[in-house]
Amino acid sequence: MSTTPEHLKWPKEAGCTAVPYSVFNSEEVYELEQEKIYNGDTWHFLAATAEIPDKGSFKSTYIGDTPVVVTRGHDDEVYAWVNRCAHRGAEVCRERHGKSEDGVFACVYHQWAYDAKGDLRGVPFQRGLAGKGGMPKDFDKKQHSLRKVRVVVFQDTVFGTFGDNTPDIEEYMGEDVAYHFKRLMHKPIEILGTTRQYIAGNWKFYSENTKDPYHASLLHLFHATFGLYRSSQKGASIVNNDYHSVLWASSGTESADALDDMKKDKLRTLQTGEYELKDPSLLKGQQEFDDGITLVILSLFPSLVLQQIQNTLAFRQILPKGKDEFELVWTYFGYKDDTEELRNIRLKQFNLIGPAGLISMEDGESTELCQNAIVRDGKYTNVIQMDGKEATGNDHLVTEGLIRGLWKGYQKIMQL
Amino acid sequence: MSKLSNDTVSAVENLNRDYICALDNMDMTGWLACFSQQGSYTFIAEENVRRGLPIAFMLDDCYERLQDRVTQVVDIQIDSTEHYQMRHFTQLTNIVEQESGTVRATFNFSIYYTQKDTNHTKILCVGRYEDIITLKGGKAEFKHRKAITDSNVLPRYVAYPV
Repeated sequence: MSTTPEHLKWPKEAGCTAVPYSVFNSEEVYELEQEKIYNGDTWHFLAATAEIPDKGSFKSTYIGDTPVVVTRGHDDEVYAWVNRCAHRGAEVCRERHGKSEDGVFACVYHQWAYDAKGDLRGVPFQRGLAGKGGMPKDFDKKQHSLRKVRVVVFQDTVFGTFGDNTPDIEEYMGEDVAYHFKRLMHKPIEILGTTRQYIAGNWKFYSENTKDPYHASLLHLFHATFGLYRSSQKGASIVNNDYHSVLWASSGTESADALDDMKKDKLRTLQTGEYELKDPSLLKGQQEFDDGITLVILSLFPSLVLQQIQNTLAFRQILPKGKDEFELVWTYFGYKDDTEELRNIRLKQFNLIGPAGLISMEDGESTELCQNAIVRDGKYTNVIQMDGKEATGNDHLVTEGLIRGLWKGYQKIMQL
Repeated sequence: MSKLSNDTVSAVENLNRDYICALDNMDMTGWLACFSQQGSYTFIAEENVRRGLPIAFMLDDCYERLQDRVTQVVDIQIDSTEHYQMRHFTQLTNIVEQESGTVRATFNFSIYYTQKDTNHTKILCVGRYEDIITLKGGKAEFKHRKAITDSNVLPRYVAYPV
C-alpha cells in the first residue's frame, strides 16, 4: 500500500471538527481512497442472502468502483469475485441479478468459463484447431482464476473485503453497531425491491448526512410537519470504532422543554397542527420492536447504511463513481413472516424513503449543493462543532459527534 | 384500436394531455383532477416490475393519498427541493376496451428536466404508462396510472410525480 503524499496531508489546524474541502474535490484523494479504504481492511455490503437464494443465484455489484459479483455455489456456499475476465479484462457477468442454472459464468468475448467460485474451468481452443493455434503447453487454468473477494455471511448479510487483515465482522462493527445490526436482522427477511439514484456529489457528503441527526428535522419538512422525527425526541447517537455509528429515536417522546425551545427559535421545523394527512394510514404503523425505537440509522463505514424508519427497513449501499458522483442503491425488505397487513404497511410507508421519499429526497439536493460549492479551495475547512469537539456520541440528537467520528477514522485510515 | 370509437381515443388522448400539461406547468390541482374519486397512482422502476417486486418510488393507493401528494408538493417541500422544470413527451402505443366504460391504455413517455439554477437540461426518465381509464359522458379519468421507468437509476431525486 502506498504512502500518502505530503501535499495531501491535512493542515495542522484541521481535524475532525474542521475538514479540508480537498477530501471532496481532489482526484488524488479519490484514487487514494480506492486503494486505502476500498481495497484495504474494510468490510463492504455485497448482498442480503435473500437476494441470492438458490444454487447458481448471483448479484453483480461493486466494492468502491470495482465491479464485483456475489454468487451462491452448487455447494450452497457464498462466493465473490471481481467481475473482470482473467483473459482480456472484459466484464464476465452482465446482469444485475440472475441465476446460472449450470453454475457456469462465461465471458461473452472468448467464452472463457468460470464456476461460482471464480475458478477458470474452460478455455475454448485451448489445444488449438486441427493442430493449429492453442495456448502454450504449460498454460495452467489454475493460475488464471478471477480475482477473489473474501466474504463473510453475518446475520443473513454478505460482506466482502479485499484486505488481508480485515478484522472479524463483529469486531469491525463494534458492540453497539453489531447489536443494532442483529436487532434489525433478527429473523429471515424478504426482499421487496430496489431503487437507485445517481447523485452528483462526493460519496462522503452522503456518509456525513447519515450521521447527522441534526439536519433531519430542519431539512426534511415532512418529518417535522407530521411529528415523525424532531430533534426534541428521545434518542441517542453512538460512535463505534470511530467511523461506524448508530443513531436511534423513538417517536412520540418529546420533552415539553425542548418543544418550547424550538418554538422560541421559530424554526420552520415546527409546524405542528398546520397540516393534516387526509390519508393517515401512511403513518399508522405497527410497533414491531419491544424497545419502542421507531428510527435507526446504522452507518457502517464506508459503504452501508442499514435503516429502520417507522416500518420501513432498507439497506442503502453507497457506491462511489468518481470524486464528484456516487450511486445510492436502496434494497428494501420486510420479514418472511410478516402478516399481509404489516407487508402492506411497509409498502405504503416506503413512500417516505428512497429517491422520491417524502423524508429523503432532500438528501440528494443537499449533497449536490455541497458539491457545487467546494470545487476549489481545497485547503479551506468546514465547521463541525454541534455538541462540542469530541468524536463521541451522546444521549440526544442535537449533535455532530458522529460526523466527527467519521473524519477521525477517515484521517487515520487515509493517513492524512 | 379499430373497435374503439374516435371519441374514446380522443378522450384518452385529452386526459393524457391534461395530465402532462398539469405536471409541466406544476399545476398539482390540475394533476389531481385527472384522477377519479377511486383513483390511484404508482411510479415504479422497471426492474422491480420485471422481478415481480412491489416496491415503488411513489405508491399513492387511494384518492386521499393523491390529495396528500398535492399538499406535499405545494406546501410542505416547497423550500427544500429545487423546483426543476419538467417536459413530458408521450405517445399512445396501445388502447383496448376492457369492459363497458373502461379502457386500458399504454403510453410511452420521455421526460426531461431543466434545473432552475444551472438551466441545464437532462433526461429524468424514460418508460411507459400503463393506465386504467374510466369514461363517463365523454370524459375520461384515471382509475389508475402506473408509470414504469426503464431508467432504473434516476438522477438526483424525484420531487414530483411524473
